[in-house]
Amino acid sequence: MRGHCAALLAILALLPVLASSDAAPARSIDWREGVLTGRMVPDIALRTASGGAQRLSDLWRQGPVLVTFFYRRCAGICTPFLEWVRDALQATGGPGREYRVVALSFDEADTIAALQGQAAALGLRDAPGWTFAITGTEELAAITGAVDFWQRRNPTTGQYDHDALLVAIDGQGRVLRAVLGGPEASGRLRNLGAELRGTFVPFYRVAGGASWRCFAFDPATGRSRLDWGMLLLLLPALCAVTAALLLFSAGASREP
Amino acid sequence: MTTRPASSQLLIWIAITFLLFPVLILLGILMRSIQAGEISALQPWFYPAMTLHGVGMVGVWYVAAMACAADVLSRHVTLPPALGRLAIAGTVLGVVLLLACVLLGRFAAGWYFLYPLPLKGEWPLWSAVTFLLSLTVLGATWFIWSLGLLWAISRRFSLGQALGWHYLAGRTDPVLPPSVLITTVSLIAGVAALVSAVIVLALFYLELLTGQASDALLMKNLTFFFGHTLVNLAMYLGVAVAYEILPEYAGRPWKTNKIVVVSWNTVLLIVLVAYFHHLYMDFVQPGILQYIGQVASYASAIPAAVVTIFGALLLVYRSRMRWNLASLLFFLGLVGWAIGGVGAVIDSTISVNARLHNTLWVPAHFHTYMVAGLAFLVIGYFYHRCQEAAALRESKGYHQLLIVLMTAGAYGFFLMFYLAGAFSVPRRFAVYPVEIGHGASFAGWAALFATLFLVGFVLTATEVGRRWRAALSSAT
Repeated sequence: MRGHCAALLAILALLPVLASSDAAPARSIDWREGVLTGRMVPDIALRTASGGAQRLSDLWRQGPVLVTFFYRRCAGICTPFLEWVRDALQATGGPGREYRVVALSFDEADTIAALQGQAAALGLRDAPGWTFAITGTEELAAITGAVDFWQRRNPTTGQYDHDALLVAIDGQGRVLRAVLGGPEASGRLRNLGAELRGTFVPFYRVAGGASWRCFAFDPATGRSRLDWGMLLLLLPALCAVTAALLLFSAGASREP
Repeated sequence: MTTRPASSQLLIWIAITFLLFPVLILLGILMRSIQAGEISALQPWFYPAMTLHGVGMVGVWYVAAMACAADVLSRHVTLPPALGRLAIAGTVLGVVLLLACVLLGRFAAGWYFLYPLPLKGEWPLWSAVTFLLSLTVLGATWFIWSLGLLWAISRRFSLGQALGWHYLAGRTDPVLPPSVLITTVSLIAGVAALVSAVIVLALFYLELLTGQASDALLMKNLTFFFGHTLVNLAMYLGVAVAYEILPEYAGRPWKTNKIVVVSWNTVLLIVLVAYFHHLYMDFVQPGILQYIGQVASYASAIPAAVVTIFGALLLVYRSRMRWNLASLLFFLGLVGWAIGGVGAVIDSTISVNARLHNTLWVPAHFHTYMVAGLAFLVIGYFYHRCQEAAALRESKGYHQLLIVLMTAGAYGFFLMFYLAGAFSVPRRFAVYPVEIGHGASFAGWAALFATLFLVGFVLTATEVGRRWRAALSSAT
């Protein structure tokens, strides 16, 4: 009996370890994406690559807006991330019609010419629905603060450490969804583009992951398959049948 | 009429039920009054009241039905007295924890407590933990209670005999009372439901301890496996009591036969998958499970309801029926079950559910079979046992008046739900916006009808109470 108790305690003690080992799977997504949903985004003034001026709300009044951040001199993720966004949205279609995209520089050194250079480098100079823009210092701080966009300048190299973030904003200036990440985010970027076009996307991964899922969902193919959690639905009936069989077989020495 | 002493444990269950039920009715009246816009100062209490009312009603009528079934079972098998004492103690402790989390912590996740709401609300974490502890205590207690009753049945019948399989082979020995058959089916399915609750609670605790999130779809499946099945089984246990007692008033036997055996064995399979109809709105649920839900919901009505209702009508038809408060409540209880069941079958139709699911049609049908079905059956049995022990003089006219008060109050109350559902008034709204302002009128009338029902119930409880006091002196 004591041995059984010790074994049970050992299993209980191991549970958190087993659970935590599953808590951070290789492809888990950043928990910060979840907390951004519903946040209000400030209505900032934009100076665009075409030399014009407009407010962010001018765009979101026309439909959903995707906002992403970059800077021209970036030797890191900025250009690849913009390419992933561009490719995902080209695959799903819709920029300029169902939604608009704002690529906002967070480097105060960037000029209108730098914006034009970045757009040209990506082949997006005259792309419909795309706006490359800069804004003022205070307004930049307001919008990056509102969406928790993290960046830090390295004084030695002049480069920035920063997130790669795409935020979808609705017609009232609220965050609909956010996608943080690197190449593995491409499938989710495509889903977001499709969703903004009105396509119903039944599943997408949520921050934090989940144990014992009913389905495993592949965002690249959009397909799902049964997962181990479904087995838990069979467990109650199996337990009940087993309990009934055991009880009634144990009660075989019946009363008269 | 020969007297038969009542068991002290049943008398305790009667006291607990009759103490809690009017309080829970008052919470229901409070909610409908808030929706009617009459006491807006108490709006912040709407969802805590909904939680306490919902969990409380389901819990009270489940344990009351279990107590009645156990009392009927004691006619046929020997029950260990400690089992009943454990059930009472565990239930009281669970209720105290529930009251604490709702009244002190304003826990308000509703009786479904759908994941992840209990862990995401505005209430303090301790109240969510206390709620989960309350369910743990109640679930563990009822689990042991169910296993204990099955154990008692197993001392006299084999599993095949308890499920009536020998009737299918043309044998009638040993004679199996229908109440034992239905109780066995209900207890086995009840064990499955309670295991499902154990898994849900374990996953909640896992998240609390480790931060590991659970899959919302899995949690909803498990929650309704537990909740839907438990509510159905409470109803079936009440029906088991009707099978045992109604023949005493009709002067005719209501025996087990092949049809009864087939129907209730089928129930054992069907009741475990009918809950899928609660997930029609969950588009990520595989389509095949949705279809199983609809087929099982329709199928569950045939063996249980049709066979029982048809059997009850045949039992009463042209019999020398002795109508009193108990037999009237039994008969009306079966009628209420049938009417609420029709509402449930309509709602379980996928194309209809798409329109009605989030409307007041849903509380309409479950209030019908819980109040005018199960509650009538249980109150009828409580009166029957107390009157059997006390043998006081019965006032036929007064008792008929009580029946009229309760029936008119109950059905008036249900009608407001049905009409509001038909007029697209959504459920779970504490305050109706102007677009659905007509919901407030239905709520106001519903509060009045519920008050009428409450008056009828209090007067009925007084009648039962007089006999309860007399029965207490001779209790075993």
